[in-house]
Amino acid sequence: MSLSRRQVIVAIPAATLAVALPKSPSIAQDGRKIVTFWFGQANSDGQAALRRDLVEPFNASQDKYLLQLEIKGAAVNNLLKVALVAGSGPDIVQTAGPAYLTAIANAGQVLPLDGFAETYKWKERFLPALLNTGVYGGKLYALPRDYESMHLFYNKDVFSQNGWKLPANRAEFEQVADAALAKGIIPFGAGNADWKGVNEWLVTVFFNNVAGPDNVRKALSGELPWTAPPFVEAVELSKAWYNKGYFGKNYFSLTIEQSFLQVVNGKAAMALNGTWSFGTKSYGMSKPDTAMDVAPIPGLSAAVPGSLHHLACGATLSIAKSSQNPEGAAAVFEFMLTRQFYQEMNRDWPGKWALPVKDLPPEMLKGIGYPMFEKTITAMHDAFDKGQYGYTTWTFWPGATNGYLIEGIEQVWLNRVTPDAYLSRIQTLFAQELKEGKVPPLPQRAS
Amino acid sequence: MWLFALPAVLINVVIILIPALLTFAAAFVVWDGVGVPVWAGFANFQRMSDDPVFWSSLGNNLVWTLIFLTVPVIMALVMAAALLVAPKGRLVVQCIIFLPRILAVAVIGRIFQGMIFSPVTGVVAWLNERGFSIADPLADPDRSLYAVAAVDIWHWWGFLAVVFLAAMRQISIDQIEAARLDGAGFFTLMRYVLLPGIQPTLALMMILTVIWSFQVFEFIYIVTRGGPAYGSEVLATLAYRHAFFEGDIGQAAAVSCVMSLFGLCATAVYMRLQIREGAQSA
Repeated sequence: MSLSRRQVIVAIPAATLAVALPKSPSIAQDGRKIVTFWFGQANSDGQAALRRDLVEPFNASQDKYLLQLEIKGAAVNNLLKVALVAGSGPDIVQTAGPAYLTAIANAGQVLPLDGFAETYKWKERFLPALLNTGVYGGKLYALPRDYESMHLFYNKDVFSQNGWKLPANRAEFEQVADAALAKGIIPFGAGNADWKGVNEWLVTVFFNNVAGPDNVRKALSGELPWTAPPFVEAVELSKAWYNKGYFGKNYFSLTIEQSFLQVVNGKAAMALNGTWSFGTKSYGMSKPDTAMDVAPIPGLSAAVPGSLHHLACGATLSIAKSSQNPEGAAAVFEFMLTRQFYQEMNRDWPGKWALPVKDLPPEMLKGIGYPMFEKTITAMHDAFDKGQYGYTTWTFWPGATNGYLIEGIEQVWLNRVTPDAYLSRIQTLFAQELKEGKVPPLPQRAS
Repeated sequence: MWLFALPAVLINVVIILIPALLTFAAAFVVWDGVGVPVWAGFANFQRMSDDPVFWSSLGNNLVWTLIFLTVPVIMALVMAAALLVAPKGRLVVQCIIFLPRILAVAVIGRIFQGMIFSPVTGVVAWLNERGFSIADPLADPDRSLYAVAAVDIWHWWGFLAVVFLAAMRQISIDQIEAARLDGAGFFTLMRYVLLPGIQPTLALMMILTVIWSFQVFEFIYIVTRGGPAYGSEVLATLAYRHAFFEGDIGQAAAVSCVMSLFGLCATAVYMRLQIREGAQSA
């Protein structure tokens, strides 16, 4: 087939117009409207849980919509941005937390959910502290898929064999850590060989548990510079602990799993890790005979007298602006709020879909056979509900600042830059991003 | 004739020229990848030059280039010459040294990370258990770049050796035998016969090495992700970090422009050499 010049000239704008025209919703063979959902990383167990607990029961629950799930892997965040700009993204936009959502929401690539929130009473059902992380300019753009917090995981057998009691403050922490080192036990099992984000888990703990959540909040609001003395103390303490060997000799060589298993196997005493650890089966924490136990992390300075939970949202759920089936996407969200889904998903993949909904946990978790997970979620839910929490870097810090926070702390620990220089650079980057409106929204404190 | 070239030209324009021009344009805007780009003039270049990590990354690229212009080239030349003068078992040796080249980069990265350098599961752990005190080089910001370079050299030098051997085999056998009859030893033969004989191939591979050294990404990203403490960060990993972790496309594009600048310089040198060679042979 040969095309004349005139045909080519006509074809180009026609093709452009075809791309620009609104798409009609995809229809399945049985006539149902298709709802597309891209998911990031999930191993075979996770994929099976997603199919068994979400896709199949949702599709069986009604005859209007058909949910299609695609596992996109680790690059999903980058794929998503490109697809949204091109208008070809999925109906359901899942991001890796408010820090990722900010740019997408500011660019208007996702729809406001206020209408659906009104219909389904979402604003009354979610914990405000978590729901407010999806509010931009007074409009709700995302629902929180889960809540997370840093915790102190420890081997209770190691503690009892050595006559140690669970530390309740910095002095006791250092006492236990020094005693562990003297016995050849690693105080904290930690490693970032497979995920640099481990650095920010630790920085989150030091910022909040040393400087205190009020100072962190002030700094995130731009009322206090990151170079203020409480943050200097926090970074200096992290450096002192690293240099004393509290995180072991192989922090940069061990993976997360290897380092946590050191605690499970008694080679290390404790781990500062997140609630997502409950979902890793190799740790065996759901077994009745596990040596592991967990507690909130105690304050590490006079500014933080008690233990602290750290507010984190590991993923957000929105509806793409280009979605031709927003009602279907909202119906999927509503399905996720059913008791059946909540129970089954948390049984099969603990912590991954811990929806911060008022009327579901914690009593819903009873009977899933995971006491440690149940008690942690219960305490976390209570703390977040009462407004007693610190702030996690991966939820509340803007991208460039958080990027340097993660990488730069290694420079501090390895004596490449001073704590002052590190915080000064953080302040410079943060001030710029605050000016550009890139800082994720802070939830209002409960009165 | 132009019609024959059209498909190649079209592919190059669509896949190389347009993205290159867009990247160049992106260096002059502030853009998070999803919103509306805002004109920023030279602000991205200013911020880049104020960032100490940019300069340390550029330094690492220069160190990487120097390493790859010397270590694997010398290894490959010696091996190629040895295989030329002692052809027995040449095929087997070529297969063995070429093998790393056909393995996936991700696989090689994980092998060295987990089975060689790891102080828990690798050869380093085995040595430590036998009384040697060896630390994981990937965990040391002063050594991590060299450790990753060693991995890439293992992957790369066999390919170079095969290329050099192919070039050496184009040299007249009479010339080589005459040199040996005159009493030339291995290194004299190399200095006065083999190296001059493969000069165009050597020059091409050196120039390509410069270009590739400024594009190096995958080994570093897989093995150390530029760390620890930016110890092995190079321009490509820095640009990737800006674009995909920090959502700062403008800054990433500015860094990419610097990378391209070095590549362009190397390409210009190569073109000049080719023109000179053409003029000499005419």
